[in-house]
Amino acid sequence: MEETNNIPYIELLGAAFRYPKGDFVIENASLTLFQNEFTAITGPNGSGKTTLGKLIMGIIKPDRGCVKILDRDTREMTLGEIGKKVGYLFQNPERQLFSMSIREEISFPMEIKGIPKEEIKKKVNEMLEAFSLTHLEGIPTFKLSRGEKQRLAIASILVNNPGFFVMDEPTTGLDAERKKDLSELIRNLQDKGIGMAVISHDMHFIKQLADRTITLSGGKIIDDSR
Amino acid sequence: MIVGKDLDPRVKLIIVMCLSTMGVFIHNILVLFGILLVSFIAAIIFGARILTITKKLKSFIYLFAAIAIMQSIFSPSGTAFLSIKGVRILTMGGLEKGLMMMERMSVVLVSASIMTTTTTRKVIQGLVQWKVPYEFAFMTSIAIRFLPIFMEEMRDSLIAIQLRGIDLKKIPFKKKIQIYSYIFTPIVAGTFIKSQKLSMAMETRAFRAYPERTSYLVLNMQQLDYILIALSILLTIAVMIVSL
Repeated sequence: MEETNNIPYIELLGAAFRYPKGDFVIENASLTLFQNEFTAITGPNGSGKTTLGKLIMGIIKPDRGCVKILDRDTREMTLGEIGKKVGYLFQNPERQLFSMSIREEISFPMEIKGIPKEEIKKKVNEMLEAFSLTHLEGIPTFKLSRGEKQRLAIASILVNNPGFFVMDEPTTGLDAERKKDLSELIRNLQDKGIGMAVISHDMHFIKQLADRTITLSGGKIIDDSR
Repeated sequence: MIVGKDLDPRVKLIIVMCLSTMGVFIHNILVLFGILLVSFIAAIIFGARILTITKKLKSFIYLFAAIAIMQSIFSPSGTAFLSIKGVRILTMGGLEKGLMMMERMSVVLVSASIMTTTTTRKVIQGLVQWKVPYEFAFMTSIAIRFLPIFMEEMRDSLIAIQLRGIDLKKIPFKKKIQIYSYIFTPIVAGTFIKSQKLSMAMETRAFRAYPERTSYLVLNMQQLDYILIALSILLTIAVMIVSL
């Protein structure tokens, strides 16, 4: 993990984005996200929260302004490079699970990268333990519950040791107990020094955890409070 | 005045079938070019988004180059334009076969775009009125409706894989194939889940509760529709007889 803590990890400098033939969904957004903060990004439906998340992750590129990760413009970075620095949990975790087995789901990026098998096995076991997935090992990934899929997706992201983690609506479909587990997990990640940005309109969940709340409306940042 | 868009969907279907059949079976490069030109003209008359299709066709240029080279190496014929250490890399025959394959695919794609100018509901109705079983017509329309969703899911999967720190440009070809195989796992699993949910939703709305279905939408073929269908079939037969 990179030692950056309170230097800007992610910066948006006058970033604006619009989909083809549409109006701007994000307008002139400027903000800095730090590793030692839990930032909540909130706003009503259609306010541009998910688009902002995709801009941060380099999935879409700004039409104006720029987005920087550790001082590098995302336009000059591949998604692979961004993924090594920032983890991203999709709104629907199903979309980011590829393997039939839980173990393979966590291990396959390491196999592709050519990491020794023993090391992979050790890391996977650690992750299965940390995310209470060990007892689910025999079940195909697509048969897991939403909460289990989410835990698996988070485990597969964190095995890369990103310095920052962006979560898009992580509480959707979770009951009170699972939300509590998620809060605990987020606190643990913060303790480990991982920067967090959570996109959510679950105000109760946000208030419990956030050091900073950014509010969006109509694609504009209307409030940024600590 | 009747413009292409107002024609019965069955006329469009017949035209697409005629163009695609000629595109697949004809082996003359010049005749194929003529069919491609007719497909373009028909697509424009029917109001298909020709610019979008043209953009998609650009991506076939690499495929054309690959086919031309492979044909030149493995089944060399005609004058060699490029040879390396005695191995013929590019020949006239290879170029011709590559070009023919590109023309064929373009005919199929361009002609199929004509069907985008009508709603799937109308296509189903047209098929049902032609005595095609409703279930079969419905399945076809579902497949068409789900296609963009699958495309989006594939895009998402590819993005998610890269965001796991995998640089697609830097990894070897063998591993790249392994990654592409991963993309299809969520798609196949998702398809089963979606189809289960859809069938449940349909049954809760009494799908197939009665043996006979009625419809508010009834299509009526006009004289022009019949003329166009007859012309398309006759012209296709004539072109096939002359070219084959």
